[in-house]
Amino acid sequence: MTATQIDSNKMPTKGAIVSAEEGINKTIVDIFKKSLEKKCFDAILIPVRVPETEAYAWVLLKDQSLLDEANPLPPIISVQGAKALRSLTKRGKMTQNIAAILRPCEIRAAVELSKLKQIHLDNISLISIDCPGAMPLSDYLADPEKSKKIYKNVLEKWGENNSVRPVCHICNRFSLPSLLPRKSEETSPVEQDEANLPSIDLHIGLLGGNQEKIFLIPVNPKGRKILEELELKSDDSLDIWQTKVSEVQDKKEKIRKEFNLELKEKIEGQEKLTAMFNECINCHNCMRVCPICYCQQCFFDSGALTLSPETYLSRSEKKGALRFPLDTMLFHLGRMSHMVLSCVSCGVCEDACPMSIPVAQIFSLVADQTQKSFDYAPGINKEEPLPLQDFLEDEFHEVETPKEVN
Amino acid sequence: MNDEYTPKIIGFLCNWCAYTGADLAGVSRIQITPSLRIIRVMCSGRIDPLFVLKGLLKGADGVMMMGCHPGDCHYQKGNYSARRRYVLLQKLFEDLGFESERIGLWWVSASEGPRYAKVSSEFSEEIKKLGPNPVREEIFI
Amino acid sequence: MSNVLKIKKGVEQGANELLKFLLESEKVKGIFTLRKMNENGAVSYSLITHPKELQNAVPLFPLMPVNAGKILSGFTLKKAINEPIAAVLRSCELRAFIELIKRTQGSLENFLLISSTCGGVYPLKSLTDGTYKEQVSQYWESAKNAEISSDIRPTCAACEYFIPQQADMTIAIVGKNDLQQECSIFLNTKKGEEFTIGAPGNIVSEDIDTKETAKLREKRQEQKKKLFDELEKNGSGIKALVKTFAACLSCHGCSKACPICYCTLCDFDSKTHEYLPSSHEIELEQKEGIRLPPGTIFFHIGRMIHMVVSCVNCGMCSDVCPVNIPVSTIFSKVGDSLQKLFDYLPGKDIEEPVPFGTYKEEEFTEIGE
Repeated sequence: MTATQIDSNKMPTKGAIVSAEEGINKTIVDIFKKSLEKKCFDAILIPVRVPETEAYAWVLLKDQSLLDEANPLPPIISVQGAKALRSLTKRGKMTQNIAAILRPCEIRAAVELSKLKQIHLDNISLISIDCPGAMPLSDYLADPEKSKKIYKNVLEKWGENNSVRPVCHICNRFSLPSLLPRKSEETSPVEQDEANLPSIDLHIGLLGGNQEKIFLIPVNPKGRKILEELELKSDDSLDIWQTKVSEVQDKKEKIRKEFNLELKEKIEGQEKLTAMFNECINCHNCMRVCPICYCQQCFFDSGALTLSPETYLSRSEKKGALRFPLDTMLFHLGRMSHMVLSCVSCGVCEDACPMSIPVAQIFSLVADQTQKSFDYAPGINKEEPLPLQDFLEDEFHEVETPKEVN
Repeated sequence: MNDEYTPKIIGFLCNWCAYTGADLAGVSRIQITPSLRIIRVMCSGRIDPLFVLKGLLKGADGVMMMGCHPGDCHYQKGNYSARRRYVLLQKLFEDLGFESERIGLWWVSASEGPRYAKVSSEFSEEIKKLGPNPVREEIFI
Repeated sequence: MSNVLKIKKGVEQGANELLKFLLESEKVKGIFTLRKMNENGAVSYSLITHPKELQNAVPLFPLMPVNAGKILSGFTLKKAINEPIAAVLRSCELRAFIELIKRTQGSLENFLLISSTCGGVYPLKSLTDGTYKEQVSQYWESAKNAEISSDIRPTCAACEYFIPQQADMTIAIVGKNDLQQECSIFLNTKKGEEFTIGAPGNIVSEDIDTKETAKLREKRQEQKKKLFDELEKNGSGIKALVKTFAACLSCHGCSKACPICYCTLCDFDSKTHEYLPSSHEIELEQKEGIRLPPGTIFFHIGRMIHMVVSCVNCGMCSDVCPVNIPVSTIFSKVGDSLQKLFDYLPGKDIEEPVPFGTYKEEEFTEIGE
């Protein structure tokens, strides 16, 4: 099931409109403070600014005062939210109820990881938010004050601004409710049955609110219960939000298509692609920050690729020179073949690359194409198995047809 | 923090000397500080420096390492390694401003019940003076 | 005094001449050195076996994409090389290789080790922000005058061990005011002398330690003191550590880039450091909040405990850090202090055991009483 076409008829239609006079961040933070008071949740996982610095770190907190420095949409992605969740629930389930407020790509990565048994989602309420993107990490570090101002502008202008990371600029999955699985073509997500619940309970809509209001959108019965406990009615119309989301979605689809066409030209063919990785120092940072790359020991770090000196010498003699560390393209294309079907285009790989190689853009491009050929959208439907975990007897016959022999 | 705080001190005691010495102190009804929580290891050489580090980072107010006197180790050489590790830890903590006074190493033999009581109560007093471990307040570690 | 091979070419060209001679005369089967990858300054270590590929060799290029000691260790991990190979690497890379060999992670056998008196390297960022061209052009001037080039890695600017100790040959760079005309290659060992019989150039007798190298050493020592003092501005203790590592992503890139960190599966990546949700829930009872992923500071100090006695101050850790934490400065400072405590200089003497893992019966006798 791909979910790139948005039909407003299938998006959630009712929610709670909350005034955001004191600023969007404060409004959201106050709602979460109330949720702790009313015991909707035992704890909340949210990015918090580290005191006396401009850095953000994920904190699982019970104390309301810590929420004062919290920000559900920091200007940067520090640790990918799914990775933070994984460090919490890899080995088992939470017994306490927690709410985790994550960006759409982080939620989708978390759902993918739960399919890979790396995250137990029980007792975790995933709350998503409309995301305008994040700024390049290096830009933010170079001048945090300037970047914060730019990001404020990004939140206001949404999509018209090119200051976010390239993969964010072309992101067409910035608002999750519009992508949620349907029981059938007719029913809206709110009427899903228990067996097919979407991955999120609640969504915070920002688009269409014009910085004056936000939309709290329940996506399933649990989400509605949360709004009840917060004493918010959930029958306000979401028309303006839906309209704006569709509008931005259309824009993004166009931008994405153009961008990817251009990018394809820049990298296609062995020579051009290899040249892209000329500066690669094989630090493997990209792999280590990637939420989908969860292997305790990456194949490409293992002894499997260590050879004897004679082999290195003979390999060198074939072309006259052998580059070290070895197997740069093997690593990147190999990693790609391992994880690209679950790639959520979060872009932390590109942020972590010390040589500014456009890893995320390249992987995103390939992800789009490969996910399409399996008609698979990562992280949208909890029940949908990963393409390589499953098969149908009757499919892909076109690769079986023997070529004509003349 | 109030000044009535009782320090939480972790002690890694080697089975053959220090732990037996502690046992002897108990059997002899010598007053022992309640601050010390003992973890028995077979040899002081088993004490991974990471145990000491983890203890402090989790909020222990002090960590004690205790083993046999040099030359008396049940496994011959373990306590020599422990000594080097302790020296390394102490200098490292000093360089990082990490209150290196919160860790210590003592040789306590199996017959030195009174010595065990003495070093643990003296250390406990020192730790009390230092106050609670500031790491307890830190969220972002 | 040592024998010095003088090649009548500028130092970069002279180095290439030497490598060409070694390969073409078949005295070595291959040359391990830096090679140009493109015209934008990207370089990569390579094993070159055809003299033709030596055209792209840039042995003295002031960039360290990866610590060569780590590569050579990986090269000889399974067994020693069986054919002579000349390897060109910097002093710290050589020291790292020696430290790894002490840990049975490689072998020196059949290597012809060529090093240089090191003027330092530029941070990898200088490639991505394009400043490397300008920097490289003023690099040789600074080296000639035994000055510290501005903008080199902070740990390079503070490095006093720039004269390699274990190399068979050392190309003199620092303080050589005839850099553009002549390449001086000090032949430190018998092996070095044997391999250069018939090389294009003449042999004279000189001392590698000069007034200029002493001058640079002093400057670097001053810079070291300044660099370490700067760390104090964040204060000390746990609050300072939290501030320093606030932005840490726990990517462990520093550890993977470090030549001394050779463990295939790092302890901090293993199951030992994966906790049950209940552990987190219990901790959440005692504290208002817990940072995830856990153990940021624990990882750094733990890694420090594991490897800092062998830290060679190469600076790779800081370079690969995505959030610009001055890892190498901190590790350098503590490494310096601990190495002095054990009277140990990593990589100086292959016979000298690593202080962590050995002991003396009569030492630190005041401890424990």
